Formats: sequence, C-alpha cells, structure tokens
Amino acid sequence: MFIITCPFCGERDQSEFSAGGEAHIIRPKQPTELSDDEWADFLFMRKNIKGVQFERWNHAHGCRKWFNVIRDTSNDKIHAVYKMGEKPPSD
Amino acid sequence: MLNINFPKIEKKDYPNLELNLVEPIHKLNLRGKNRDFFTKAGRILSIMLPTEPNTSATIKSISALWLSPDEWMIYGKDIDKNLMLSLDSEISKLNLGSVTDVSDQWVLINMRGKNVFEVLSKGSPFDFNKFKDTKNVTVQTLLNHVDVILHQNDTNNLDLFVRKSFSEHLWLWINDSSRSL
Amino acid sequence: MSENFRSIETKFLDKTNRISFKYNGKKYYGYKGDTLASALLSNGVHLIGRSFKYHRPRGIMTCGSEEPNAIVQIGGNGSFTEPNVRATEQEIYEGLEASSQNCWPSVEFDIGGINNFISPVIPSGFYYKTFMWPKKFWYSLYEPAIRMSAGLGKSPTQPDPELYDHNHLHCDVLVVGGGISGIIAASISADNGNNTVLIDDKNSLGGSSIYQNNENFKIDDEISSIWLDKKIKELKNKKNLTIKRRTSLAAFHSYNYLLARENLADHKSLDKRLNKLRQRLWKIRAKKVILATGAIERPLIFNNNDRPGVMLANSVKKYIDYYGVRCGDKNIIFTNNDSAYETAISLNKKGINVSIVDIRNNSSSILVKNAKDAGIKIYWNNTVVNTKGYRKIKSIQIMEMSKDGTNVVGKKTNLPCDNLSISGGWTPMVHLFTQSGGKLKFRDSDQIFLPNTEMSDQISVGSCNGDFELDDVIKNTVSECKNFISTSVTDYDSLKVSCPKQKENKNIWLLPNDKPLGKTKPFLDFQNDSTAKDIKLAMREGFKSIEHVKRYTTTGMGTDQGKLANMHALGIISETAGVKMGSLGTTTFRPPYTPLTFGTIVGRNVGTFFDITRKTPIHEWHKNHKAEFENVGQWKRAWYYPKDGESMHQAVQRESKAARESAGILDASTLGKIDIKGTDASEFLNRVYTNAWSKLGIGKCRYGLMLNEDGMVYDDGVTTRLDENHYVMTTTTGGAANVLSKLEDYLQTEWPELDVWLTSVTDHYATASVCGPNSKNILKKLFPILEFNDGNFPHMSFKNTELDGINCRIMRISFTGEHSYEINIESKYGKSLWEKCMDAGKEFNITPYGTETMHLLRAEKGFIIVGQDTDGTMTPIDLQMDWIVSKKKYDFIGKRSLYRSDTMREDRKQLVGLLTDNPNEILEEGAQIVQDEKKQPIEMLGHVTSSYFSPNLNRSIALAVVKNGKNLKGQKLLVPMKDKTINVTVSDFIFFDSKNERLNA
Repeated sequence: MFIITCPFCGERDQSEFSAGGEAHIIRPKQPTELSDDEWADFLFMRKNIKGVQFERWNHAHGCRKWFNVIRDTSNDKIHAVYKMGEKPPSD
Repeated sequence: MLNINFPKIEKKDYPNLELNLVEPIHKLNLRGKNRDFFTKAGRILSIMLPTEPNTSATIKSISALWLSPDEWMIYGKDIDKNLMLSLDSEISKLNLGSVTDVSDQWVLINMRGKNVFEVLSKGSPFDFNKFKDTKNVTVQTLLNHVDVILHQNDTNNLDLFVRKSFSEHLWLWINDSSRSL
Repeated sequence: MSENFRSIETKFLDKTNRISFKYNGKKYYGYKGDTLASALLSNGVHLIGRSFKYHRPRGIMTCGSEEPNAIVQIGGNGSFTEPNVRATEQEIYEGLEASSQNCWPSVEFDIGGINNFISPVIPSGFYYKTFMWPKKFWYSLYEPAIRMSAGLGKSPTQPDPELYDHNHLHCDVLVVGGGISGIIAASISADNGNNTVLIDDKNSLGGSSIYQNNENFKIDDEISSIWLDKKIKELKNKKNLTIKRRTSLAAFHSYNYLLARENLADHKSLDKRLNKLRQRLWKIRAKKVILATGAIERPLIFNNNDRPGVMLANSVKKYIDYYGVRCGDKNIIFTNNDSAYETAISLNKKGINVSIVDIRNNSSSILVKNAKDAGIKIYWNNTVVNTKGYRKIKSIQIMEMSKDGTNVVGKKTNLPCDNLSISGGWTPMVHLFTQSGGKLKFRDSDQIFLPNTEMSDQISVGSCNGDFELDDVIKNTVSECKNFISTSVTDYDSLKVSCPKQKENKNIWLLPNDKPLGKTKPFLDFQNDSTAKDIKLAMREGFKSIEHVKRYTTTGMGTDQGKLANMHALGIISETAGVKMGSLGTTTFRPPYTPLTFGTIVGRNVGTFFDITRKTPIHEWHKNHKAEFENVGQWKRAWYYPKDGESMHQAVQRESKAARESAGILDASTLGKIDIKGTDASEFLNRVYTNAWSKLGIGKCRYGLMLNEDGMVYDDGVTTRLDENHYVMTTTTGGAANVLSKLEDYLQTEWPELDVWLTSVTDHYATASVCGPNSKNILKKLFPILEFNDGNFPHMSFKNTELDGINCRIMRISFTGEHSYEINIESKYGKSLWEKCMDAGKEFNITPYGTETMHLLRAEKGFIIVGQDTDGTMTPIDLQMDWIVSKKKYDFIGKRSLYRSDTMREDRKQLVGLLTDNPNEILEEGAQIVQDEKKQPIEMLGHVTSSYFSPNLNRSIALAVVKNGKNLKGQKLLVPMKDKTINVTVSDFIFFDSKNERLNA
C-alpha cells in the first residue's frame, strides 16, 4: 500500500485511487484513417517495463480527477505527480 | 400524500460520541469553472466557493464544500426550493455550469464528541491528525470501504455524507465500531 | 504439585497474586506476570510436546517468540480454543487451560514416537518419493492417512466468540522494540517534538537489559538494569509518546506501512473478556520508523540437541533473573562465546550448580575471569557429542576437538546434568527490515546478516543492527537517532558506559562428532524436525538454492518460520558447497513475523460486515413481502416473491405470466443514473454511444450501446433528453460506477474542450417500473392530469409531472416488451410511491416481480444483459445489433475497432437463440455447444448464456453465443451434459412478439 500525492487533494492512501495504465498515449483524432497495425499500436501496445514508468491514476474515492504519476515499478517509488495536460517534470 | 422514508438511522449516544441523522436537508452539487460561474454562484449563495482543496466555507447555515477544482457540495437548512430554482435558472439554464439536486443522493449524519476520530480511524486510512484540529475542513475518503464526504464544522463536530444506498450498512458499521469505545 | 524451582523473589512478578491454571488436565500454580513457560518451569515441567515428524519429546527452549517447541493448545475444547500458542509468550491467567499438541494418547506416552525409531527410512522428501504411485492410491489411501497424522494442534470447530478490531494510526516516528535501544530512540524522538509510538511485544518494557544485574554492565555508575528502570519510568511522563505493550509487529510494508497486533485480553481470564476486545490490528503509517528489534540467540548443532532440558543460555538467564525460576539443579552451559558466561555467573550467584563446556581454547573476557574466580568448572576445546535422557536430559557426553575443529579426539567424558544451556552466538532480527524491501549485507567476523540499504525512511538500531556490546548499543543508537531525527543534543550524549568485551570468536555451524553424520540427529529446525543430514541429503540430490533446500527439507517452514534454524541451514549449505555465506543470500522473510489469529486479520468484517450491502429505498417493502434477495454487485435486489410455499420456479412462472397478462411492478432503483449537462452534451453522447444523439427530440428517450475502445460491448441503457443541454443516462446496475469513471476519464483527458458536466444521481431517485397491458390504466389512476394516449405520451418518451405535489419523471420505456412505464421520484418517497402503485394496481392484480422474472421476460424478447450474454469479447455485430451502430458518425468510442480484420471475421461467436427439441428440457447456463461429439478433439462452438422456461410460450428458451451462429439458423446442434446429450436447434433470438405489437397494446 503506497501513498500517492493527489495533485489536488494531497497525500492519500493508495486505496483511494485506481490505476489507469500507461500515460501519454493519445487517442488518435482520426481513427478511421489508421491502418490496422497503427490502431492496434494505440489500442494494445504498452511498455510495461520494470523500472521508471509513466502512469495514469484516478483519485476515484476523492476528487475523481485523473492525473499522471511517474513510478518505479520495481520498488513502487513515486518520483513525481503531475496534472493531466502538463508535461512531465524534466529531471 | 406521499410519506417520507429514511434509512433506519436514529439518534445514538456512546461514550463521548453522539450520532444524529440530519434529514431532510437540501444538498446541491455544483460544477463549473469559468469566472461567470463563480460570480453567479457566489452572488446567489452569498458564499465564495472555496478553491482551496479540502476546505469549506459556511455563511449562516449554508455550507459549500470543495470536492474538486470544479465541483462543490452545497448544503444547509437555509437552502429552499427558490434558491435551488434560481441557481438552476441562472447557472444550468445559462450554460455556466451545472446545478444538480442531490438531496436524496446523500444521507447526512452528524457525529460529535471526543471519540469521533477514534471511530473514524477504525475504518478510514485518512490521517486525521491535522484535520481534527482545523475548522472548516472537508475530506472525501473511504470509511469501511464506503465513499464518504466529511465536513468538520467545529471541534469534534462533524457532518458525514454517505450515498443513501450505503447508508444503512455504514450506520450499522459506525454503531458496531462505537461499541468498543 | 508444589513449585520447587522458584529460587528467588523478583520484582517482575506479583507474588501477592497467585494464579492457578491447568496443563494437560493437572492443576499448577504460578504468579501474575508469569508466562505459561515460566510457570511450568517453576513447577519442574519441561516436557511440552512431541515433534512434528518423529514425535520426539520436546521441551521449552527459549523465552520468546522464536520458540520452536513449546507450542500448546489453549482454552480447552470449547469455542475459545486456539492451537499453536507459544507457551513462552502466553501469560497465565486464572483458569487457563493448556494442553500438549501432536501426541496421542499423551505427551508422556505417544504412539507416534515410533517414527523416531523408523526415522532412517523417512528422510527428507520421503513423502514426495514414496507416495507417487500407484496414482489412484493417492486420494483413497495416502492423502487421508497423511492428513490424519499431519498438523500441529486442533482448529476450533465453533465460531470464535471474541471481538477483534482494526484501527489506523498515523505517527511521525514508530519505534519497534522496547529494549534499551528502543527506549533511548523513543525518548530522543519524543523529546524532539515528534509524535512517537513505541511498541513492544512483551507485557513490560526493557528487553533483556531490564534484568541485566551483572556488575560488569554499568551506565553512569549504576547497574544497567537500574539505570534502564529509571529511564522507563521517565517515558511515562513524556508528551508526544504513546507506548503500546503486548503489541507485536506483524508486517512492515513499503512506504512505512506497518501492521501490528495489540493483545488486549489474552492475559485475562475468560470471565473478564466477555464483550471486550481481544486483539486489535493496528494499521500504522509512520513518517519514520526506528527498528530496535534486537537479536536472538543461536543454538548449537550437535547430536541429540533437542531433548527437553536443552535450552538457549540467555533464556535460562531470563528465567532465573526475571522470573526467579531455575531450569535445573545441575546445569551445564555449552557455548562458543562469552555471553553465555553471564548465565553461568547468574546461576552461580544464586548457589545453583553450573559448569561450562566451551568449544574455544580460552577467552580473556572479564566474564570468563569472573566465572573462573567463582570456581565454575570450564571444559575448554570440548564439544558435546551426545545427550541422554528421554523425557528430560540426564547427561551429556563431551569430547575434545581436533586442532582444526573438524573432528573430535580422545575419550568421551560423561557429565550428568538436568539442564543444558546452549549458546551459538547471536542473530540480529532483520526480518522486518527485509520485509520492507531492505537489502542485507554479511559480516564475516561474527557471521551475521545486517541491514545494508533500506527502501523507506527508517533506521535499525541496537543489536538488530549488529551492535552486541552495551557501549556500542548506546553510543550508536544515540548517534543514529540524532542523524535520523535531525537533532544535535540529547540526554544521552555523555553517558558513561562500561561493559565486558566479546573476545575470541569461534563458530562451527555443525559440530564434529565421533559417529558418522548418518548415525546422529543434529537438529536444525526443532519444530519441523529437520536435521543437518537432511540439508546435506537435499544438496546431494541436487538442490542448490536456499529457497529449494528450504522447501525440500521443510527447514524454516513451521509456525516459528525458522527463526532459530535458518542461519544454521545457510551455514551448512555454504560449508558443504564451499560457497561464501554472504553470496548465498537468505530465504525471503514474509509477513507475519509471528502468527496472527484469523480474528485479528478480519477484525469486525464478519457477519453483516463481511461485505458491503446496498439497499434500495423500497427494500423494506420487499422484505416485508417475503422477497428472496439476490446479490447484484453490492446491491441486494428482490429476486422473486414466493407465495404460499412456492418454489422459485413456481414464483417466477406466476410473476412472468401476470406481467404479460395484466400488470407487474419491478424495483429498478439500482440502475445507474448519470445527470449530463452542458452545451456539448449531445456531442458527448455521440462520441460515447454507437448510435446518433443530436436529433433526439426533447422529451424523448433512446437506447444506447457503449463500447470499449476495443469495440467490445461495455454497457447499455436508456438515455433521456430532458432539455436542450440536459440528459439523464441510465447504466446497468453493476456498471454504474465504472461507466461514470470512464466518462469522466474521456472528459478530463481526451476531450477537455467539451462543455459537459456529469453528476451521479443513482441514489437520488427511486424507480418503480410498471409493465403489462394494464400499466396504462394504473398510471392513469395515479396521474389523472396526464394524457396517456400514444400521441401525447408515445413509447420512448418522457414526462415531468407531479404525484401529490412531488416531482416525478416518467419514462415510457420497456425492458420486457410490454407497454410499460418507469416512474422516478426522489428516493425518500420511493417506498410510498411503490405502495401507491400497488394500491392503484390492486384491481388489475398488479404483481411485484423480481430480477429472475425480469431476466426471463427480457430473454423472451431477446434483449441482452451486458455481462450475462456478453463477456467483453462481443461486438455489437456479434450480438446482431448492427442496427444500433451508426455508419454516418465520424467517430465514437470503439468504432475503429469494429473494422479490424479480427472483429470483421464472419465466424466469430454470435448471439443466437437455442430451442431444445424437447420443449420441457431447460438448458444449463454455461453449458458448452458442439456439432459433432465424435470428432476428437471435440470442437467447442460456444456456450449457453441465458436459459429459462417461458410460461408465455410454454416451452424452454435459451440465448447462446455460437461460432458463425448467424449463419446456422435452423441447424441442429448438441449440448453434451454429464449424463445425457441435449439436442437443440439454432433459432432467432427473439422468441416472443417479434413485431413489438405489445409495446403499444
């Protein structure tokens, strides 16, 4: 059980959140113009790495806002938290 | 005439803990983000909607609770149909944001006494250490795996909102947990 | 029996409070403050149980949670009974009943003891190797027989009558362990304004230092125990400090999330426990953690080192100095280090006979000098090669060791004794540290694993960090804490500490013997009966990893989790394999550190609180009218309403007939309801549903199908346009929360430019659905001002109206195929509305129906239930619902996926109807469907998703998903069951009123 700092509500227990998979996968604006492979790439292909990963989380039992988390999947250390639409911190 | 039925929640007293059902009471959900929305809501309610996370503002008996950067819970004894109608017509109808009557979506339970946080800590992972010494704070969290909104009016005096369908279960849980105080 | 072995008075026991208890049916006495172990020892009882595999007699070995042998059944045969309780931790109370485990007929004479004599033929892996064949014997013979003899203790057969609780705790600093370093750490932390919690598993603080009366250990010129006692008294007045005694840490997770079990009543007699909490699980979030978990003494591994009366040396010291109990009259101490000399000196001071066997050649420690001065006989450079005595040790045989320590030389010497205190050095308790993700390092000088790098904000201090000498413990604890807490001054900065220094280390993991290893029994894991030769056997058979050796030999797999055994197992593996111990690693330490009761784990989440239940505003009415309930997600939904002893089948047949012939009423309050407002609401619906919404008139309703981005059906429901920019969406009961979350996700992340606001109103409204040919007549009575003709209030439209001055929303929509209305009202009026409907419908025999009838009625009409007829692999095309997929819309969630080569395959599984050849045969939901039973392997074409007996058609009907089902209409297929094969024909899935004539009837 880790602690996540919701960019709106502050530090909360993990049980208040739900995970939403890899971050920064943008839904294509014109899906019909994509080939099967390109669409499959958007739909299915995820990095799922051991190490530092960019993720989406939702403060489901709090403010219900979605945001981004940079988490090391090997040890659950959270390096940064930032709002939707913001660029990841550069360091 | 239609009868009113509330979940079976009655006043209860435990050592340093008093539980009361505060119903019926009007509750509104406000959503919006532009300046006109804030101005209108502020004028009609005579309250500046709080923008600081986890805080509330209370004037007379109307409280506005911060739920998210674009969502508030408004509740209080002074809210009447006219106020709700004017909010609806000046905000929803003018497309400045949304006003939704959620009076029956939530059940309001008042908890007061020194043991309030003792009971809440049994079922909530939230750290109440700072919260309990601060007035006009609010938090949305889990209590025994059920979503709740907590609003601290005063020291050791707290309003708890729970969705109606969960309320009977949560009420039983609060009472069960209060047995061992 | 009188107590013969209480030698001295101690302040730790309340001599005015004499307590009687029963052990194996016999009455004994002890004092308040005694553990069961100390009380039994004071009565001269050493034999506690029989070992797990060989049923060898075993006695008390230790004085704490590491105890492998002295585990007992507590609380008689009743509901309070509990197995595997460590006698060394259980405090006695008036009326306590304890008994030995794993022995029959008694601990004194145990039939299973025969295993000891046949032990040469039951080595490690015996069960794996022997009971492999013939295979069928496993279930009929081997497994039942092994189960009979396996296990320690008896599980209770009655419900647990006691209360348990959970509680969350947030603190700045958590200190684990109330020994001298923990007390110093807690005091420094609290003095610096940190909200500090100190937990300790014993009933009193102080660890082993609190009874350290040896004059060589001094702090500020006071005997260390006296100094510490003062410090403990000071703690009680400290602000910011909470002390929790009898609280043992069970788990240390990442992010400093810890679980601790507080024992509130296990030391109290049963009559004082009634309706009181027994144990509480603390869920602790600490900003910082200080581990001061101490170290435990290692045994020595030699032949027959497991007899009752063989104990750890420091435990013998605690029994005499803390409990005033001597463990023997003729004591021998067997050691490889200086610390065991403290025990010898302590016994000697009390006039108790003691001598020492030391595997070292000599030691220059002040403790050794003291022992020599006191005239204690020391056998240097000797090792124990055998012990004698069946139920209690009677004598030992020692031999001199060769120069290199690998062998023994000379003659055996017999030494009579009634207690053998062994000491093989110390093992820091790093279990919790590693649980939290910490990595260890190995210190060669004294062969210990130490904390190296940690994953969270924590430090380890004292002997769990490898400091074994008092001056180091204090000095390093203080400096580590200063760093950790960020303070420069403490009360402990200039303490004067003097203590003996450990000299001459010598460690031999497996001591030499005159007999070959195969002829000896040097036990490593006392609880699971694994010996050094089992480890070597495992290695001969090719097991190299410590994790594999552990599982093959079961070393460290008992309730004590190998606290004593693991280091020796590692040592022997490393010696045998010629690998450095540091590179071998350790087995994984997993929570809980000591066993937890199930009661503590579940807390109050029992009975009613096992799972959350949601109730509709009309629930009371259903209950009062004898409804049976069905769980739908967390909801309790009325399932059917049996009348006069009806079976479910009979009730459902009656309800479904009534709904079609006159009128039925269903509580539909559980459906998810989302209020949608904003200028882009229509555009939003266009994007989330497969069909088009822009042209839906105000006051009209439309059914919508929602897909996932992969094109699979996700949810469905009717959405109503209340106003130009205002809709209310209904979702499935189970999908409500997920749908709202998904819609918010798209609004917040993909389409933030849309002006749309979502608010859940599921609980705000109660919904009564009235259906059947007479539904209109009933509504006319309820709402006389409304016009119900098809022109004014057609199917798929909505009216805002009032009932007794209360607002209502009425939707004319149908899930049964009948003319029907859904009335929504603020939920506080829900029950009253329902009763009004029942009153108004009385003359039409309005019949309340539950979810089962609803399912049947909709199946007759071929309406799907998302989650029953779909499973996340069905596209709308698979469901033959092409009509609802807009071809004109540029995009909607999942659209592109409908054109993937796989989703366009013709031979996907598709929704069809199935009719059994025998109309009375009802298929089982989930049954597989095949075409050719003889073909090997049988090709599974699909399965039955919904199946009912329809009273309106007077035959059975079923929905199924079948490969290429669209093109199989009229085909014969087979549904093979366990005892028969059912012949079916593929049909249309609309079984009833396919022209929808009844909607407007």
